[in-house]
Amino acid sequence: MSIRVENVIKSFGDPPVQIIKNVSFDLVDGEFVALTGKSGSGKSTLLYMVSSLDNPTSGKITLQNQDIASMKTGDLHRFRNKHMGFIFQYHYLLPEFTALENVLMPAIKAGTVSQKRPEAIELLKRFDLGNRMESLPSQLSGGESQRVAIARALIMNPQYIFADEPTGSLDSANALNVMQIFREINESTGCAIIYVTHDEDFAAMAQKQIQLVDGKISAIKTSKKTIRKNSRPA
Amino acid sequence: MIFIALRQLWARKRQTFLTLLGVMMGAAAYIIISGILLGFREYLVDQMVNNDSHVRISAKARLVEENSFDHIFADKNETLFWLIPPSGRKDSQKIDNVQEWVQRLREDTDVEAFAPQLAITVIYRKGKVAQNGRITGIVPAQQTRVSLIEKYVLKGTLRELADNGQKIMVGEGLRENLGLRYGDSITVVTGRGENQQFKVYGSFQTGNRAIDDNLSYISLTTAQNISGTPGQISDIVVRLKDVKNSLRKSEEWSNDESAKVQSWEQSNASILDVFQVQDMTRYMMSAIILIVAAFGIYNILSIVISQKKREIAILRSIGFESNDILTIFMTQGMLLGVAGGLLGVALGYLISVRLSHITFSSPMIKAKSTSMMVSFNYVIYVYGFLMAVFSTTVASFLPALKAGKLSPIDIIRGME
Repeated sequence: MSIRVENVIKSFGDPPVQIIKNVSFDLVDGEFVALTGKSGSGKSTLLYMVSSLDNPTSGKITLQNQDIASMKTGDLHRFRNKHMGFIFQYHYLLPEFTALENVLMPAIKAGTVSQKRPEAIELLKRFDLGNRMESLPSQLSGGESQRVAIARALIMNPQYIFADEPTGSLDSANALNVMQIFREINESTGCAIIYVTHDEDFAAMAQKQIQLVDGKISAIKTSKKTIRKNSRPA
Repeated sequence: MIFIALRQLWARKRQTFLTLLGVMMGAAAYIIISGILLGFREYLVDQMVNNDSHVRISAKARLVEENSFDHIFADKNETLFWLIPPSGRKDSQKIDNVQEWVQRLREDTDVEAFAPQLAITVIYRKGKVAQNGRITGIVPAQQTRVSLIEKYVLKGTLRELADNGQKIMVGEGLRENLGLRYGDSITVVTGRGENQQFKVYGSFQTGNRAIDDNLSYISLTTAQNISGTPGQISDIVVRLKDVKNSLRKSEEWSNDESAKVQSWEQSNASILDVFQVQDMTRYMMSAIILIVAAFGIYNILSIVISQKKREIAILRSIGFESNDILTIFMTQGMLLGVAGGLLGVALGYLISVRLSHITFSSPMIKAKSTSMMVSFNYVIYVYGFLMAVFSTTVASFLPALKAGKLSPIDIIRGME
């Protein structure tokens, strides 16, 4: 198992209100998973816990057989830097840096900018941004910015990509483009993609749908269509 | 991290420029204020140290007491009773054991040179104009080895005093006040009421009006003659090999009860006290300027950090640690401090150079050189720079620490 979520509860406030109520599931390496549900169902909260950005109130989440709660802060940061990519509803690109520099931001932290530069250029070209590499975020459209954010999430060849409503701020054409990119990445690299959406069509594109209702899993649907699972490149 | 910090600074040019300006002005203000105050101080200290002496040994003011004459007018076993007891100061102030002092000073390896003096209070008279003042009797050959009086001589030479004639070298202020021309005669009235004629053969100007308007030099022998105290001296002025030993030597020699020994610091204690007040004012003014500049940095960084929460969240989510965020913002503050400090040092230097060429006149000080006295001591520049860096580092630390502590999930939730 790649990610195991066991009896996870998340409470907020005083008195505590349970947002996630005793949730358990497993995700396999290379899966393409949608977390769906209505607004307030707890899907984003669950995503942030699974992606190690937030801690559960109780329960256990294991990544590659490692309990996230017991990982040292430094190890967790390194794990995030090298094995995880994040995409949010808004692109959150750093406004002072060009598209290419934004893509290379995780490599700056890892100290591998020069090695990753050709790869970053390739990624931007692949996302039709070959002529926008030196543009600042303010000079990019919403769809272009989100594609730069996806390239940034991919630059370290992560094992997991976590996306919180990645199409939320995009028009339908750009949103579909982003979803197609996700699927293509999943198929070509074997990178597990876990994304939150409340769009049924986009949810239907996933291999597995985890549906949340009031903080509980109401259903886990697996697509009948067999998705080819490539092994991760070495 | 420095790359990120630099790029962010460059992106907000206006804020960066204004902050830099604040730090630069703070450091420059410190350097200019310190340069002027210390320049003035160096001038005064130079006057105090070099124009007089490092240590002055002078006669103690002795009072006549009821039992002062017990063994003079009566035998040892008799007791005198006074109807009106004697009181007041003894008529002449002299150093009793001159030979012992001379021997002692000759043998002391810390002593560079020493010279005897006899100070007399007199009234100068020229025609109908009269003015009170002082005359110091000196041995020119010895005096010039102790103080730098020779460099202030406008006309004549001190060596001419050694001729022992009725020659007098007057302060330039005194010469002007009495309308004396070189070669004129001047009447000097001593404490004994005797009139003595002197020929004005030269003048000097130290720049200190308290000296220039009152003091004259004559030879020691002449001074002893006109005061009716042959062979007596009132002071021994001493120059040490190292001026830093002044206080230590004066304390060491003070164990001799027969004379009053004062170092130049003790003689000018009131002026040195003013220096301390001056120092406090200087530091407070500079601190206020730099605190204002530091607040500028604090405010700007706080605003920047609150505007950049989203970027901080994404950086944290892609593996940047708390310390990395702290480093980014600390680097920005420190870069502003270092750059502002360096520019401030340069600006302060340029303005100080300009100021040092400005002429000025003061009713207190009338130096031959009328340009402003500005100190270019490197310590001022080092302090100015360090104060700029220190204040901006402290001012950046709090917002940077706050930024480092921001949790990505809290930022993301806050934006939901």
